[in-house]
Amino acid sequence: MPSATIRPETQYATLHQQGEAAQLGMWVFLATETLFFGALIFTYYLYRISYPEAIAHASEDTVLWCGSVNLALLLTSSLTMVLAINAAAQGRRGAAMALLLATIVLGFCFLGVKGYEYAADYSDKVVPAVNFTLKPGEPPASELFWIYYFVATGLHAIHVTTGLGLLLYVFWRLRQRRVTAAYYAPIEVVGLYWSFVDTVWIFLFPTIYLAGRL
Amino acid sequence: MNVEAKEAKSLPFIIAWLVLLILAGLSVFSAFQRLDVWAPIVEFGVAACQALIVFLLFMRLKGPPSLKWVFAGAGFFWLLFLYGLSMTDYATRRGWPTGG
Repeated sequence: MPSATIRPETQYATLHQQGEAAQLGMWVFLATETLFFGALIFTYYLYRISYPEAIAHASEDTVLWCGSVNLALLLTSSLTMVLAINAAAQGRRGAAMALLLATIVLGFCFLGVKGYEYAADYSDKVVPAVNFTLKPGEPPASELFWIYYFVATGLHAIHVTTGLGLLLYVFWRLRQRRVTAAYYAPIEVVGLYWSFVDTVWIFLFPTIYLAGRL
Repeated sequence: MNVEAKEAKSLPFIIAWLVLLILAGLSVFSAFQRLDVWAPIVEFGVAACQALIVFLLFMRLKGPPSLKWVFAGAGFFWLLFLYGLSMTDYATRRGWPTGG
């Protein structure tokens, strides 16, 4: 298939200028996301300072291996994502598609592990407003932790799902030869979003899984 | 578009990924040590180091265009405002933290 000619949109002089504008636009969006998740994580630390025993007690019941595997999956997907961007920029279309596909598979694995963990949480009766049951000796404030847990991980899972949709879209554009070495801004911008979602998990991981392990 | 992607080698990114995994292991290891009040500080510190690697290398914050520093810096700056002003409220409350 011959490579499609990509021209800049009318408001841009060059593809490079268009690409830089797209990148800056994504950074503005990520700044708002930083405040969004930053406030959420701040709330957690307020809970932890206010109710240290309850938070440690509840946190101990989370499935540590699920969170750890998911952290490794997302860190690895950030690697495959940046390597896919490099491959696209260097005109190695086959490698870019393979690496992007690996990123997508890792993203779906993350959601699969998360789904398994939610099922385990349901069985453990820790879902607030559904089947939450205090265990013997557990302080009532531990329910606050589980509210934080489901809000934080739920919002993060929505972001991962959005990212997967964007990755599939860029994969399709790569297949159509609408992302080339001359214009690779779409994969670069989606890569920024994906690595940011990874960063959010980096901060959520210790808040959810690490307290009360001793 | 980041022009350095055109010449980038894979090895630095693979090394960075290995460092990220080691830091993740360190974070889990720290959870099983008696760190008391230092535990959240160590955990958050490790996470901040990991985030810095992702931002600088994987998201290429250190490369051109330099204008993106303004946006990334603004996000961080406003986050500091959010944390700082919220903490002035909590830190001056009587009877907080209550414990439990």
